[in-house]
Amino acid sequence: MTTTTITVTAEIRRFDPAQDAEPHYQQFQVTGMDNMRVLDVIRSVYENQAGDLAYQFACRIGRCGTCGVRVNGVPVLACQERCKPHMRIEPLTPFPVLRDLVIDRTEVEARYSELHLTPQRTQAYTGKAEAIEPALAEHLCHLDSCLACMVCVSACPAVAERPFDGPAFVLKLRHMAKHPADHGNRLQQAVDGGMLECFGCDLCTQLCPADLSPAQAIREFRKELVFGTGKES
Amino acid sequence: MVINQPEMAIEHADVLIAGSGAAGMRAAIAAHDAGANVVLLAKGPRRANHTRMSGGRYNAVSGFNPQDSTDAFFADTLESGVGINNYRMARVLADEAMDRAFDLEGYGLAWDRTDPSKYYLSMTGGGNFVRSMGSVDEGIGITEVMLHQMHARGIRVCDFHMLTDVIQDDDGRVVGGLAIDLSRGVWRFFSSGAVIIATGGTSQLYETSSGPAINTGDGIAIALRAGAELVDIEFMQFIPISFVYPPSARGYTLTEPAHYGKRHTDPNAEAAHLLNNKGERFALRHDPVRKEGSTRDVLARAIMLEILEGRGTPEGGVLMVPDAAVFDSFLKERPIYVKRLLENYGEAQARLQAPIQVMPSALYTLGGVVVDTWCRSGVPGLFVSGEAAGGVHGANRLGGSSMPDIQVFGRRSGMAAAEDVRALGAREVRGIERAKARAQTLEAAMHRPDGVRPPEVKKRIQKLMWDHVGLVRSGPRLEETLRAFREIREQVLPNLKVTAKSRVLNREWMEAIELENLLDIGEAMAASSLQRKETRGAHYRTDFPALDPQWTANIVVQRKGANLNIEKRAVVTLDPPSAVPAAFPQPARAAAR
Amino acid sequence: MSAAARLPRNTTRQTDVVQHGTIARILHRITGSVIVVFVLVHVVAQSVLQVPAFAAVKAGAPWLPVVQNQSWIHALLYFSIVFHTLYGLKLLLTELGVRIGYRVSVWAIVAVSALFGLREVLRYAGL
Repeated sequence: MTTTTITVTAEIRRFDPAQDAEPHYQQFQVTGMDNMRVLDVIRSVYENQAGDLAYQFACRIGRCGTCGVRVNGVPVLACQERCKPHMRIEPLTPFPVLRDLVIDRTEVEARYSELHLTPQRTQAYTGKAEAIEPALAEHLCHLDSCLACMVCVSACPAVAERPFDGPAFVLKLRHMAKHPADHGNRLQQAVDGGMLECFGCDLCTQLCPADLSPAQAIREFRKELVFGTGKES
Repeated sequence: MVINQPEMAIEHADVLIAGSGAAGMRAAIAAHDAGANVVLLAKGPRRANHTRMSGGRYNAVSGFNPQDSTDAFFADTLESGVGINNYRMARVLADEAMDRAFDLEGYGLAWDRTDPSKYYLSMTGGGNFVRSMGSVDEGIGITEVMLHQMHARGIRVCDFHMLTDVIQDDDGRVVGGLAIDLSRGVWRFFSSGAVIIATGGTSQLYETSSGPAINTGDGIAIALRAGAELVDIEFMQFIPISFVYPPSARGYTLTEPAHYGKRHTDPNAEAAHLLNNKGERFALRHDPVRKEGSTRDVLARAIMLEILEGRGTPEGGVLMVPDAAVFDSFLKERPIYVKRLLENYGEAQARLQAPIQVMPSALYTLGGVVVDTWCRSGVPGLFVSGEAAGGVHGANRLGGSSMPDIQVFGRRSGMAAAEDVRALGAREVRGIERAKARAQTLEAAMHRPDGVRPPEVKKRIQKLMWDHVGLVRSGPRLEETLRAFREIREQVLPNLKVTAKSRVLNREWMEAIELENLLDIGEAMAASSLQRKETRGAHYRTDFPALDPQWTANIVVQRKGANLNIEKRAVVTLDPPSAVPAAFPQPARAAAR
Repeated sequence: MSAAARLPRNTTRQTDVVQHGTIARILHRITGSVIVVFVLVHVVAQSVLQVPAFAAVKAGAPWLPVVQNQSWIHALLYFSIVFHTLYGLKLLLTELGVRIGYRVSVWAIVAVSALFGLREVLRYAGL
């Protein structure tokens, strides 16, 4: 294990919509271990220098997905991203900001809700183990390990330019589409959500903190547009 | 200085639930399905909860291991709990776990399988039979399918809403919950017929912990202040192995050595070895039979003692030597853990080819609010389920038993609460004045011009708990801690101040409110620890290092005015009493040092 | 199998990574624009040069044929056509189900396109 200490500079965007006319950046210096994460830097700032800093975290190990921020323009999970000598730390775009680094996820939840992401069954659940091939069960669980962290939505250039809900939503739709018990028209929902705007750039794949590929989910849906889903809905 | 009456919105709910983990969500689903109007309060964004962080192992008698039975599961639970569990709750857990697992499958969770309709089962440290189910998406999958079930039912979830107290009428019946909307800094009083506390545990009381930042024991403290009893609150489970670095990951559970060796699937095989800085397998001194496959309490204590006695690594841990042969299945079952090992430690450790540095960490609150099998506390209208409730696990919890606990009792609390509300019939809104008065008290830190900042006080409490009310306890140190807590309560808490005057997402203010909860529980834990003059399960006293059969009993704590009433009470056994089935030979337990 | 099994990625240095997809997307956009601009300019330029009615304009623009023969313009054009086509093909194929990695493919296509561009430069240099 490394035991070197370093000093980093963090420029944090401060903005209180209720009080400030516009955001400003405040600079801090933090000294700590060189394996610090961005979250360690932010917490140190709060504990020692700026007690009025608003930031969000909970699990600090990359599972709750609530600590997303932009560091030097790149959306990341603060608890996972290693600190850098100079960091500009800002809230995730394109979401409304509650204060400083905390975003309002109300619309995100509203969009998830509209997608009805529970298995739309044609027959009632039997109450016993469903027949799902082991490899498919594993694949379903991989798809469902999406943290809803919104890093991919924040990074997506199509979301910035076009009417597209975002990669995360299509990934969740894909999870349901592949579930044998689901018979919802997930392809239609994906198209309605603006899936066709995707550039296929795979930035979401590269930045996903859970090693998932929303772009691949989109490609699979697009293939189904041409060749059909093979599933009744 | 006169403080104006804070702004408070009045809202209504049949059943108010505090906590967005699986217990709270399952309660919400059950209460809603029983016809109640439900509001669920999440202290932060709703996905920020302890269930999310779980490895998602789920103990249940699925029928896929013919050697297992609900009797065996029940017996294992009592054995792990060293006989002080609430037998009735443990029985319910054993009986209903599988049904709730099927519920999750119905919600869309695809449990790991070996065949299309046959679940894959693994072992857990301390258990005697292979019965743990799981899914690759772990706690993330469980919380996601449940969140979408909540969306499907249109259940109202309020993010950033911290329950600060339940409000009671003159008879002590709960008439509603007082919460602060942290995203706006506005008070909300929810007039309701029943309040379910599912706020999780108290891991944040400790300097090194595995849980999320929000688990400051709020709900347990609220129940205590409302007059509820707490049982065995001195029992805190420490996970034996957790990450040592980086700082953000420190304390995050690595589960148990059993999962890093062949013991993960074979109860007769070895777990990963634990070595001190002399290369000795010190766990053998503590449990010669199960060795590193022992229960969490034995292993955590063994590791802590090695570190305290100077035989740990320079970074303050010990070394776990995994069995590289299990890497393929480990990667397949738990890719998220492999990823964390890679990112925090390195590739060799991720491939289980190099020793992994580990340390114990505060994980799970074994005790909690006294409830019956339907999660009713002693306070009318107050229900508690999940980690916040006590009794199910006794002196030590089996790995994999928390997931079924929260489903089984989450559902029961929701059903019971909805039933009570239905029986109450029409009710008027009461308690507004009391709510306003309490809100005004909690505003104090916001208006103090000078004083002590909450983060410093929190760290002080966390260090006291880790050093003196943690894995290694003794009478004098517990008394010293109680004195320190008294000083903090009398001199520091009344002088808390917050830096920011913004009411929006004021973390210092939230921490100031949390401090009272931490102190309430810390005191109860230290006082109960002092009372229990023995060593049992997770509770270890250097001055009373042996198990004392006279202490096969519960310690119950209750607030009486300004004092804490502590009494010894007989364990709740089955009714009618029946012999606990001996499903397996009892392993020899090494005497604790 | 263990040694070969692929580990999950280490995603703790995302601010440092080369964003292959962003580069690909921007290059696709630039090359697409180059092609469009080329076609427009080419039509206009050829009209000026070939159509008798524009002889006066042609006389007033002696620099036009010179510009048309610049090697770097041809290199840029060929690079753009090859890149835009191949990358567009990559997008199409992936949507039809062919698995093509986003990292290697971008740089392989850039390399092939650069070869075509280089070929133009060399041709004008008489090689």
